[in-house]
Amino acid sequence: MALLLRGLRAGRALRGLGRVVAAPTAANPQSGGLSRGFHRAALRLQDESKSDKHPSSSSSSSSSSTYHEHYQAHHAEPDPAEGPRDDSTSDPAAEEAARPNTSYQDQGGEQGEEYETEEQLQARVLTAALEFVPLHGWSMEAVAAAAETLGLSSASTGMFHNGAGDLVLHFIAQCNSQLTEILVEQHNQVQLGQAEPKKTADFLRDAVETRLRMHIPYMESWPQAMSILLLPHNIPDSLKHLSTLVDDVWYYAGDRSTDMNWYTKRAALTGIYNTTELVMLQDSSPDFQDTWSFLDNRIQDVVNMAAAAKQAQATGETVVQGLMGAAVTLKNLTGLNQRR
Amino acid sequence: MHRAARTAARGWSGVVGATTTRRCLKCRVPLQLSSRAYGVVPTPRDSEEKEMLAQILRVDHAGEYGANRIYAGQMAVLGRSSTGPLIQEMWDQEKKHLAKFNEILAENRVRPTALLPLWNIAGFALGASCALLGKEGAMACTVAVEESISEHYNSQIRALMEKDPERYTELLQVIKEFRDDEMEHHDTGLEHDAETVPGYWLLKNAIQLGCKAAILVSQRV
Repeated sequence: MALLLRGLRAGRALRGLGRVVAAPTAANPQSGGLSRGFHRAALRLQDESKSDKHPSSSSSSSSSSTYHEHYQAHHAEPDPAEGPRDDSTSDPAAEEAARPNTSYQDQGGEQGEEYETEEQLQARVLTAALEFVPLHGWSMEAVAAAAETLGLSSASTGMFHNGAGDLVLHFIAQCNSQLTEILVEQHNQVQLGQAEPKKTADFLRDAVETRLRMHIPYMESWPQAMSILLLPHNIPDSLKHLSTLVDDVWYYAGDRSTDMNWYTKRAALTGIYNTTELVMLQDSSPDFQDTWSFLDNRIQDVVNMAAAAKQAQATGETVVQGLMGAAVTLKNLTGLNQRR
Repeated sequence: MHRAARTAARGWSGVVGATTTRRCLKCRVPLQLSSRAYGVVPTPRDSEEKEMLAQILRVDHAGEYGANRIYAGQMAVLGRSSTGPLIQEMWDQEKKHLAKFNEILAENRVRPTALLPLWNIAGFALGASCALLGKEGAMACTVAVEESISEHYNSQIRALMEKDPERYTELLQVIKEFRDDEMEHHDTGLEHDAETVPGYWLLKNAIQLGCKAAILVSQRV
């Protein structure tokens, strides 16, 4: 019950924040007005901590406020009645609320009940925004819509400095970690003897198919997402995600190589994944059957190439041995081998 | 009796299953029950430590790979001479080192250096060309390379000791053991007239310069 109340209060506070942020852009932001707003907010914070039903966490919630929670606690509703409180108690509270938390112990992040880091909040908003992508595309509108459903102001999209790129990268990271979970689960099953280990080609095919199927709900807007990922400032991050994806897939496929094979295998799988993703974009067959058969063929190609390379190496070794034998024979015939 | 055997078998497979589950959970998954008995390298606590460990392991692996190829080059030239067995013995020890690092790299999912083909060729060429100068040349090459590697291992040991000797106990043990082996090779080289090769000072410094460059590059690439 207390949690519900705190949640509601936090929601109201954040909407108030929206008004605080919006108001200065409309009216003339005067430093006096803002400081009065802070003053009132500090009083509110003190008020909240006094009326808190959990005295143990009140001190921690007030002293462990981060910059974010500091804003959370703000009520920017003008309240002239609260203005003339005793200044002696309000000033330390204002100071305490305004000072950044440098206490070593209180930065644990799990102290207060509704404590949440900024990253966690961003993740929550972005995950919620995925629902709005079919409607608004991969854009800040989707994020703004999601922010509003979470009770935040739509202006909180300002915390995403990379705009739509943040949304796409978040989605990709989420898909990759889902895939890793599935692969770990399969790996565990095999270890426990509850499942048969798959052949490499089948494993790769299943892994890539599973991963690409996660794009199906967003297939219409996926070209937009891909073009966002190709923007120069997003390329390092998207490459990093791609490389961890490919590394994970090969690791769970059983690759433990420590030589150039490490690179060739991952390069091959990257090629397969990227081309299959592109094919999927313009595939209109039922359940993307064409894409999966394309994937099958590409994996088969790689398997054939690997076999051919091995064959070539074996042939090469045999040829070299033959040549050495011929050279020794020649030396014997011409008498060069004799010790004089 | 039959039932007892069956229940015993099931119990045993349960135990085996549990330990293997724990082992395979040692993958790059958040919930880790890593027991240190299995691995030489502790699970990194953050990405900074992970990067540091990766660099250490990558360059050590590259070093052992290069040393392997250097001895292969020496054997190719001097294999059938009187120093053949001596070089073969040192080469076998390097092979063991390389195998250990291969195991560690695979276990910890560390990327091997992309310059391995370069070290392959360069190492073989170095070993072979020094061996063409005779047995003393090969020994001088050994002395130079082993001195570089020992110095490098020593600085790694220092770095790890500075950070947290408790945490890296097993890794330190492995590196110390290998460092001792390399010092032994170095001394063997000196015993076998390495210093009598003409241009010893020049050769030694040139090789050591090359080794330093290789170490620097292999850490990151």
